Amino acid sequence: MTTVITHNRRRSRLSSLIDQPGGISTGIALKQAAQNLSSLEEQSLKLVEQTIQQLAALPAPDGIENLEGALNKAYALSAGIIDAAGPFAREDLCMAATNLCDLLDGSPSDQPFDWRIITVHAQSFRLLLALPLEDKATRQQVLDSLKDVLKSKLGS
Amino acid sequence: MTLMTARSPGIGETLRESAVFNFEGAVTMVIDDSSFAQELTIRALKGFGLSTRHACSSAAEAIPILKENAVDLILVDSDMPGMSGFEFVRWLRRSKLEPNAFAPVIMTAAHVRQSKVQEARDCGANFLITKPFSSLTLLERIVWVSRDNRPFLEVGDYLGPDRRFRVGDYDGPERRADELRRKAGL
Repeated sequence: MTTVITHNRRRSRLSSLIDQPGGISTGIALKQAAQNLSSLEEQSLKLVEQTIQQLAALPAPDGIENLEGALNKAYALSAGIIDAAGPFAREDLCMAATNLCDLLDGSPSDQPFDWRIITVHAQSFRLLLALPLEDKATRQQVLDSLKDVLKSKLGS
Repeated sequence: MTLMTARSPGIGETLRESAVFNFEGAVTMVIDDSSFAQELTIRALKGFGLSTRHACSSAAEAIPILKENAVDLILVDSDMPGMSGFEFVRWLRRSKLEPNAFAPVIMTAAHVRQSKVQEARDCGANFLITKPFSSLTLLERIVWVSRDNRPFLEVGDYLGPDRRFRVGDYDGPERRADELRRKAGL
């Protein structure tokens, strides 16, 4: 039988502060946040480009004993793309990066990994960055083909 | 006259554009090993009227601060070298630090590994937000955790807010709306 201990319900200081007189509306808060973030958009894209370069330059591990470390490096780089691109409505980049994270996370580290998957994703990231934002059809094609890679490798 | 209220949205509900809130004076901590991601979070919070008092690049940097200072809100990244965000929240909840052990915690994650899903559920954070998320989502979750009055439960290895969410309309008093009504003489 599992014992359940219930601690007293307590009101956080934050819940008192939120009701202080004054403050701002959601609309103003979001406008201010967008203004604060906008100056970082260019830096975000540069960071994404650098991360893609690092990903493309990652050497395939020379033995199964080095595979786990290599997969972790690629995973961290891919997650970094989501970190950098996320706040700027680049869902395409984030979806491609999530696809790669899923693939790397789902791949056993004691079996050979097809390193061409990394290359394909790096090329796809570059294509997504280069495509005009209005070219939604090509963007979708790129994402669909990456999803197919995920399905064929992990069967999900 | 349209009355504004800071009534918090439930899970999945959208925060109204006219809802008013005030976070002035709140002590906020942001923990993220990525300096760029940390900067993004700090700037978004600033827009909401939340200034970040403690910006830390690791859990190890945050822990001594939490031992000495009361914090009202913590935003922590899940995937960090050394102590992960999950391990950090687990430590916090069991730290017996008053009031920090019960502080609202929002965890952010670019991606959650399959092997970490259970850990994410069991670490004791009030909420996990997966990236990419909009500023609106972040704001909604902050307002939501500030109203989160779920009791803390200790069940086996788990210590944190009751993981059972109540789905449905909020039926408590609309404190801010009542105040505005009074002021408006309604």
